[in-house]
Amino acid sequence: MLEQIKDWIERLRAGSTGGPDREHLPTPKTAGDQRLSDCRLIVLDLETTGLNGAKDEVIAIGAVAIHKNSVDLGDQFDLVLRRPELDISETVLIHGIGPEALTRGHETEDALLHLLEWMNGDPILAYHSAFDQKFLEKTLKQILGYTQPHTWIDVAEMLPAFFPDAKTGGRGLDNWADFFGLEVSARHHAAADAMVTAELTLAVINKAQKNDLITLKDLVGKLKYYRQLKNMHRPN
Amino acid sequence: MTASPQDSERPQNTRAIMTFLREHSPFSNMDDSHLAHFAEHASLRFYADDDVVLSPEDGPVKRFYIVKQGRIRGERARDKDGETETTFEISQGECFPLAALIGERPTRTLHRASGDTFCLSIEHDTFVMLFSESDPFRDFCLRGVSSLLDQVNQRIQSGAMASIGSSNSLDTPLERYAIRNPIVCSPDLPVRKAVARMHENNVGSIVITDDERHPTGIFTLRDLRTMVAEEKGPLDTPIGQVMTKDPCCLTAQADAFEAAMLMAEHHFAHICVVDDENRLIGMVSERDLFSLQRVDLVNLARTIGTASHLRTLVSLRTDVSRLVDSMLAHGADSGQVVKIITTLNDVTVRRVLELNIKKNDPGIPFTWLTFGSEGRQEQTLLTDQDNGILFETPEGMTEDQVREKLLPFAETINKELAECGFTLCKGNIMASNPKLCLSGQEWDDWFIRFIDASTPQNLVYSSIFLDMRAVFGPTKPLELLLDKVLARIRKNALFQKMLAGNAITRKPPLTMFRNFRYVQEDGKKRNLDLKRQGLAPFVEAVRVFALANGVGEANTLERMNKLAEKGVFDPKDANAWQEAYSLIQAIRMRAHQEMLERDEPLSNYINPDDLNPLDRRILRESFRQAQRLQQKLELTYQL
Repeated sequence: MLEQIKDWIERLRAGSTGGPDREHLPTPKTAGDQRLSDCRLIVLDLETTGLNGAKDEVIAIGAVAIHKNSVDLGDQFDLVLRRPELDISETVLIHGIGPEALTRGHETEDALLHLLEWMNGDPILAYHSAFDQKFLEKTLKQILGYTQPHTWIDVAEMLPAFFPDAKTGGRGLDNWADFFGLEVSARHHAAADAMVTAELTLAVINKAQKNDLITLKDLVGKLKYYRQLKNMHRPN
Repeated sequence: MTASPQDSERPQNTRAIMTFLREHSPFSNMDDSHLAHFAEHASLRFYADDDVVLSPEDGPVKRFYIVKQGRIRGERARDKDGETETTFEISQGECFPLAALIGERPTRTLHRASGDTFCLSIEHDTFVMLFSESDPFRDFCLRGVSSLLDQVNQRIQSGAMASIGSSNSLDTPLERYAIRNPIVCSPDLPVRKAVARMHENNVGSIVITDDERHPTGIFTLRDLRTMVAEEKGPLDTPIGQVMTKDPCCLTAQADAFEAAMLMAEHHFAHICVVDDENRLIGMVSERDLFSLQRVDLVNLARTIGTASHLRTLVSLRTDVSRLVDSMLAHGADSGQVVKIITTLNDVTVRRVLELNIKKNDPGIPFTWLTFGSEGRQEQTLLTDQDNGILFETPEGMTEDQVREKLLPFAETINKELAECGFTLCKGNIMASNPKLCLSGQEWDDWFIRFIDASTPQNLVYSSIFLDMRAVFGPTKPLELLLDKVLARIRKNALFQKMLAGNAITRKPPLTMFRNFRYVQEDGKKRNLDLKRQGLAPFVEAVRVFALANGVGEANTLERMNKLAEKGVFDPKDANAWQEAYSLIQAIRMRAHQEMLERDEPLSNYINPDDLNPLDRRILRESFRQAQRLQQKLELTYQL
């Protein structure tokens, strides 16, 4: 994958026409009748300079794709952005991306264009997706002026909906990873977190299909129902 | 560990998978570039408890799996009560399903997840790439495969993968070749019109059929040339009078090898393909079979078979060696190669006989016999003459008078064959020996004495006479003789037991700990004798079973086929033994070719240290199969 990106960046620099066309970026797909068993889903994780959506910025993007109930390692995205101007003092100890890495990172505009192209408008799944959605949409708008909304699904919400009896001892990604006995190769590395999120998603999709949820719409419907149920039980 | 600069440029998830792989065999021994190739092409899947991962119903296995987390259990239905039993468990870091993947067949065992399980897997082409590029990976995969047969198949396939990629082997059934729709006509069509029809269709042959499309003859451009040159008749002659009658036919299921052998033996270039009711469905030509292989077998056989001088025959022998070389390089099976060598040797022997009869006909009908490896059609380039004559005594002559005429003739033949590269037999098992130039009656008497009064000692030298074949002359006298000999051996349990005892005197060269037992081990020389230690145990044991069960074939592989058909051998055993035998033969022939290349005299000795680890392992396993075969002999004859 890295090779592809490099090739593509090289071509872009050389001024050839091979790169993504800003005017014709993919249109996001809605959660419709595409079958869970063969639609492509993006599982994404971002590293940022902090938690404040108003002032913090994206510094790394990691993502994998699920297709036909499997994660293909040949179809992944793993980039640190070139943003040496950002202050990372607050979070550098968490994600380990220091000023030098940000200097050597990939040109942000190119990277984002390529991300959009690679995602191909497919639905995006993330753990606590509201956070990633806010940051990604903000960045896409700032840098590219891109505002089309993708379909987002929260893996943190799917897991308890499909495994209501799981004793995870908490609602974090680490709790669920432990519950399934998963090892995270490098926690708080965007791509590694995306991978473990994808692994949990595979378990969810396996369960969903056994519960006769065939399409993405079925899955989203189940989540909506689960949310309503939860709200009803919530003490006022 | 210090990460190579390359490594740090790989995506995190690829690196993570490489790290995981490195913790497990065989990946721990593999090059980083191969691990990266694996990781970049891997997919990750999840299986919940009890989910089926692989099933016999899925068809040939297409992926190679490694358990990343969780467990897989193998389930098989027990034969006696149909209950499911767990046959194995595969846990983290272990790979499956090796035998099925390598054998390109469906798995025989249902693979089910045991608990929440994640597996990494790669597709067949990635597997093939790693298999052919990475020695540790290949070794590991083959070690995981228990049966020799699978190993052998894989070895042949990997050989084919590594080679130029010619996909047509001689094992391919004829139906897979582009069988051409043949041009046909009825026997009353004048030659002129038939040739016009061939011309219109731009083909070199026409098949003559009857009303039910049964081929009755064939007419080729070569026949036309002969017809014109020898003024056999006007072009208005009905084609039925000049065609070659009863053309050679094979069914579509026959393989290319059979077709090639028929062509080589009879020197023709076309074979009719027929259905089960002998109706013509197509035609294959020499060119169809060999266009991909560039093996000029048929042409070579024809050149030998029509050579007009001894010195032409002598010079053609280098072409035979070159042909063997190219066949081995194309991954031809050793059983096929020895048959081809034998066929070409037969053609040479026949031609030497024909040329001499033309010059100086002894005027006595005789059958030229071959014994031993030539009799078994198992000749390699290193070959002795083992031959004899079976003659009919003409009215009014004594057998000694016949010998007086035949022996000088036989001596010339033996000498000329030696010039062609067939070494004179040191034990004087040659047709010019008066003891081996006998009438049918004399041969029969000889065998009676041999069978009834043999001692274990003289048996060692004489058993090659039991592998007997006619190369030239009428075959009927030999058939009559063989029938009598076989019937006698079947009735003589003592002789069988003696033969069996003799067959197990040569033990396969393995120590108790399954290491190689060397013939000589003085300092540097650690040699195995592939012929006497490797092949002979098979040849001799199989001969006993064949003779005891009325199998008339002399060829060891064919004898095993017949023995399996008769239920004497378990088909699986027969298969394993055939493969083992063929493999030793293949290794021996490869060694011969290498010796020729280095201009060394041919020998049957090899040092297993010179083989690659895979061949060594396969050789060891082949010897183990020879031990099993000898054990069967011991059991049968209570030795």
